[in-house]
Amino acid sequence: MAIKYYWEDFTPGRVFDTPTRALSEEDILRFAREYDPQTFHTDAEAARGTPFGGLIASGWQTCGVTMRLMCDGYLLETSCAGSPGLEELRWLKPVRPGDTLRLKATVLESTPSAKQRNRGTVLFLWETFNQNAEVVLSMRGRQMFLRRTPAPTAQATLEA
Amino acid sequence: MSYKYYWEDFVPGQVRETGGHSLTEDEIVEFAKKYDPQPFHIDREKAKQSAFGGLIASGWQTAGMCMRMLCDLYLLESASMGSPGVDEVRWVKPVRPGDTLRLKSTVLETRASASRPDMGTVRSRSEVYNQHGELVMHMSGVGMFRRRTPAT
Repeated sequence: MAIKYYWEDFTPGRVFDTPTRALSEEDILRFAREYDPQTFHTDAEAARGTPFGGLIASGWQTCGVTMRLMCDGYLLETSCAGSPGLEELRWLKPVRPGDTLRLKATVLESTPSAKQRNRGTVLFLWETFNQNAEVVLSMRGRQMFLRRTPAPTAQATLEA
Repeated sequence: MSYKYYWEDFVPGQVRETGGHSLTEDEIVEFAKKYDPQPFHIDREKAKQSAFGGLIASGWQTAGMCMRMLCDLYLLESASMGSPGVDEVRWVKPVRPGDTLRLKSTVLETRASASRPDMGTVRSRSEVYNQHGELVMHMSGVGMFRRRTPAT
């Protein structure tokens, strides 16, 4: 896929909205059996008796869907070189079977790499919404991108 | 239903460790096709050309495996009431096909709930290591647990 966005394109305040993705009961059960087999994620009957009042998706699956929305929305068209991590991740509301999620990514900060002239880091706020426009997940984290134009070397800056 | 671990059973400084869980190339590609289809997670050839020099697992799959190891270690036997979130997630080193991961979970801090006498929170640090003893991921998370004996 052609690269549309480089590090320079992520300017603070810029917002990326994404298409939506729905999560079925079967999706929730399949993920949870493998990665998070707590009763309220794997057993619809037993989940009714919990404080959640029914089956809810593993928070890590909501992260996975958020990542997928990110890919659908902008990431696969970027020069992304991975992520060092997240500062903060909050599961604000349960995600239930049939919920349809979408993502809003807001650029908070953009920093050129101190060591590598051809890349930079972007700090994002990612907010995942359900079909009722409620925020179900929010995260603040960083992604690294290659630059369209490498930063000038210190020597070149001095000469200029 | 009674549990093995309630809020009172988590004490700062306590360390719990699991044995190894390995990850195959098929598992990496299957997860990534669904949740994180970046070329270095789904395409072995393109991954070779990338800065990672080969296929690597989505960081979210490593996080999922960390969760599974937490479940097997104590969470499924505990009076867990979910989690509001985690902080300082760091993907320190790539996870590659064939890697075997293990978890070290350390209790950092416990707090009785101010509003709910039947509940408390536990902050713990999770560290995931590969078969070479290298740290590949760590994070600090909060879990809510029911108390064995409600506060009076």
